[in-house]
Amino acid sequence: MTRVLVPVAVLKGGSVSNGLVQLLSTMDVTVLGYHVLPEQTPPDQARAQFEDRANDALQALTAEFAAAGSEADHRLVFTHDRRKSIDRVAEETDSAAYAITGATGEVERLLVSLTGDVDVDRILGFVEELVGDREIGVTLFDAGGSTDGRLDVASESLSETGIETETQTGDGDSFDALIDAISGHDAVVMGEKAPSLGSLLFGEEADRVAAASVGPVLVVRSEKDES
Amino acid sequence: MATEDLGSNIQGEQPDVEPTVETEEATVTEDAELERTIGLSGGLAIGIGTMIGAGIFVFPGLAAGEAGPAAAASFAIGGVVALLVALPTSELATAMPKSGGGYYFISRGLGTLPGAVVGLSLWFGLVFATAFYLVGFGYYAVDALALAGVSVGEWLVIPLALIFGAAFTLLNVTGTENAAKLQNGIVALLLSILVVFLGFGVLDAAGLVGEPSPPETFAPFGTLPIFTTAALVFTSYLGFAQVATVAGEMKDPGRTLPLAMVGSVVIVTILYVVTIFVATSSFGAERLAAEGETAMVVVGRDLLGPVGAFAIVFGGLLATMSSANASILSTSRAIYAVSKDAILPGWASRINLKYGTPHVALGLAGGPILLLTATGQVEILAEVASFLHLLMYGLMCVALIALRRDEPEWYDPAFRVPLYPVVPILGALSSFALIFLMDWRSQVIGAAIMLGTAGWYFYYARDVKLRGAL
Repeated sequence: MTRVLVPVAVLKGGSVSNGLVQLLSTMDVTVLGYHVLPEQTPPDQARAQFEDRANDALQALTAEFAAAGSEADHRLVFTHDRRKSIDRVAEETDSAAYAITGATGEVERLLVSLTGDVDVDRILGFVEELVGDREIGVTLFDAGGSTDGRLDVASESLSETGIETETQTGDGDSFDALIDAISGHDAVVMGEKAPSLGSLLFGEEADRVAAASVGPVLVVRSEKDES
Repeated sequence: MATEDLGSNIQGEQPDVEPTVETEEATVTEDAELERTIGLSGGLAIGIGTMIGAGIFVFPGLAAGEAGPAAAASFAIGGVVALLVALPTSELATAMPKSGGGYYFISRGLGTLPGAVVGLSLWFGLVFATAFYLVGFGYYAVDALALAGVSVGEWLVIPLALIFGAAFTLLNVTGTENAAKLQNGIVALLLSILVVFLGFGVLDAAGLVGEPSPPETFAPFGTLPIFTTAALVFTSYLGFAQVATVAGEMKDPGRTLPLAMVGSVVIVTILYVVTIFVATSSFGAERLAAEGETAMVVVGRDLLGPVGAFAIVFGGLLATMSSANASILSTSRAIYAVSKDAILPGWASRINLKYGTPHVALGLAGGPILLLTATGQVEILAEVASFLHLLMYGLMCVALIALRRDEPEWYDPAFRVPLYPVVPILGALSSFALIFLMDWRSQVIGAAIMLGTAGWYFYYARDVKLRGAL
């Protein structure tokens, strides 16, 4: 089955909303407890002091996912660099996506962004497996600019699997258009994008979407080139 | 290994030794993972950033006063000794890529007593080194004020050093900003300033630009001062072993550790030798000596006018600050390493959840640093710092030989010293030799600290067994 990585700032009171736990019940889940340390502090020093407390919290979280039906396990990492740890563990666990936890109730409708240079087939495959045979509707979103008719093709293939599908387009700035489209949806699915000048200046798009929308965001990872 | 009885200290605390699996990107313990986040440039920045402040911005005047133009040879000797130690250190660090550095290698290779002496001496060695950098910073701060038109005189050197020492300690306790990137930037900026400055200076010395200056006797005071000056300026080479204290956090340690350590030593050696050559040939050793700690500012003014003076003052401020700050951080890591092994009480390595910083260890670093800074004894501070580091360097070479003679099963370094056993033997001999060339007051203080740490071991941790405890 497909695995989703759920990073949680475990010692900073990070938690996972019940809505997200239920949403991911069709997937395998690895809960990644992380604790970011300033560079003054050797990670090992934090481990000695906080490891037990962190693992207790992680076990409770993992049990919630297991109760919802996921095949769940957990990892704990002490790091100076959250991004690097998430990438490394996602790679090692062969996770198809990672979650940015946010507050939500029961998820009834997903907003799936297909804007820009993303792997549409991977995202659709992921959504299909995530929804499964549940009554969760999907809105496929494209902020405009793609001329390949990807929305119609995608909508058709998702509908064939029995998922109730709508399409929506936006205009203007692609980020703002996506944020505007979020109302009426409980969670966002989007693709991972290559780092750009914008992501260096403003932070990663997925993190900004999560911050603006309050709800959870699932980021479908792009295929890594074997180098 | 952890099942072995490692003993306990007088309070009943046991060394915290967990079995680990090291990968290139993380250290995996039983219940957690420790991310490796420092790359080659970060490692080089730690090494160069710690070293460059002293060698280029503080010592030229002092060294020229003691050895004349031959001070360049003193720096070269220091660089060779540092290289002879950096190679064995690299091998040990790739075999045991753990935070703790030299202390860790010696306690595991030679046993708890030498380990405790080195680990605790390293704490004090770093405290002396940091105090030295801070006093150097104070001199540059006063010069900076003078350039800005505020003439204050040298009485302000120590108060300024103290204020900034306290500020760095406080910032490290409360600051969660990522200063590593800042440190990389500072080192890059410093290197560019120096390359421009030295490039011009070499042209000048070769007589291609500027007024030709009369040649001087190379070694006006004979050959012995060349060696005693090497012992004095060795403080300019302490930084490479700081790289080993973050060995547990470096990515791909088998490759990056040797490159960062050997690379930083080679780079700073070249810079030091060229700097002294330029300074003495453009300006004359005697006049250099008269200017003392901030002689380089005068050299800068001589070569490039007010712009040169400004660049050197600015560079000196940055360099001494980055040296001091890097050393405060290393001190805190040194304290953690011995506390983890129950040689100091466990509370010394507590960290607070609010800032995530080791406030106790930083306090144990900052307090003594301020006391020593208040003395303002630049040369004694530098020599005692070197003494305590050289002790560790010599013993690291001995530990390498001990491990190689009877290689334990776990000993599998990715990098092996070339020309074994010549390099570690020469490294050990030259490290100890430099100690004997120091001022007698430095030797007395250094020896007293060694005896004190040994006494602490017998009182507090004599039942702790660390040899081979991985």
